[in-house]
Amino acid sequence: MKLHHAVMPLFALVLAGCAASGPKFAQQEASTPKLGADKGRIYFYRTDSMMGGALRPQVMLDGASVGKSQPGGYFYVDAAPGSHEAVTSTEATNKVSFALDKGEVKYVRTKVSMGLMVGHVIPELVGADEAQKELATLSYTGAEKD
Amino acid sequence: MRFLSVKYSSLSRVANAAVALTLAACAAVHHTPARLQPLVTADQPAPRMLAKEVVLTLDTGYTRTLKAGSRWRVAGTVDQGDVYRPVGNVFTLEGANIHEAWLVVRNGTLVGFYLPAEHGYSPLGATAPLQLTNP
Repeated sequence: MKLHHAVMPLFALVLAGCAASGPKFAQQEASTPKLGADKGRIYFYRTDSMMGGALRPQVMLDGASVGKSQPGGYFYVDAAPGSHEAVTSTEATNKVSFALDKGEVKYVRTKVSMGLMVGHVIPELVGADEAQKELATLSYTGAEKD
Repeated sequence: MRFLSVKYSSLSRVANAAVALTLAACAAVHHTPARLQPLVTADQPAPRMLAKEVVLTLDTGYTRTLKAGSRWRVAGTVDQGDVYRPVGNVFTLEGANIHEAWLVVRNGTLVGFYLPAEHGYSPLGATAPLQLTNP
């Protein structure tokens, strides 16, 4: 048995272990509750990438943990209209601030960038068209906060 | 030795550039408190379209591009001018952190940004002409 025959399945297993598992967006959306009239909705997601796959920091919204940034995963939070701040921390803390209206849907993508010792996970606002294309391939991780 | 010094000089330039970039990235988006007077109308105003692409260099060193054809709807006014928010998209300012931002336009010139989460105004050092047309 050649070495690469043994290594490739292991590599595939490691990669599979990195990506979030759960129902895909279209499947999950079918059972996602409609947005309440007095709330807005924020989708948090991270595209599937090998870079920084092991980094899975908590996503904090206005100081409270609402989920984890995981490669290939997404979740959503319904929140009151007004000002909000989403934060992720590894060796550095990164923040995005935004306003949410009643009935509005906002999208926050977390992306990994280079750091000094550890990669940084940066939350950023994304437009609806771009976000919906990226969300289509992602898995719902809403129940995983720890 | 000469080889080493040349190499060190190149390394030093790269390091300086990296430090400059890091400092720019760490620069905060400065803003002062601003009160948005929302537009009060029975009907939502029609969005206006940006006629020409505008490339902005922010004071934090980042650049931002306002795409031709992007749509903006007037949201109200602040002391510095009329406030336009993007339609179907988002616009942000990036410094040490990222802030949602709306355009502040006075007499056809982009003069700064309204930060809706902070209720703040961030002036644009290099103001830019902006042509918003009715589609």
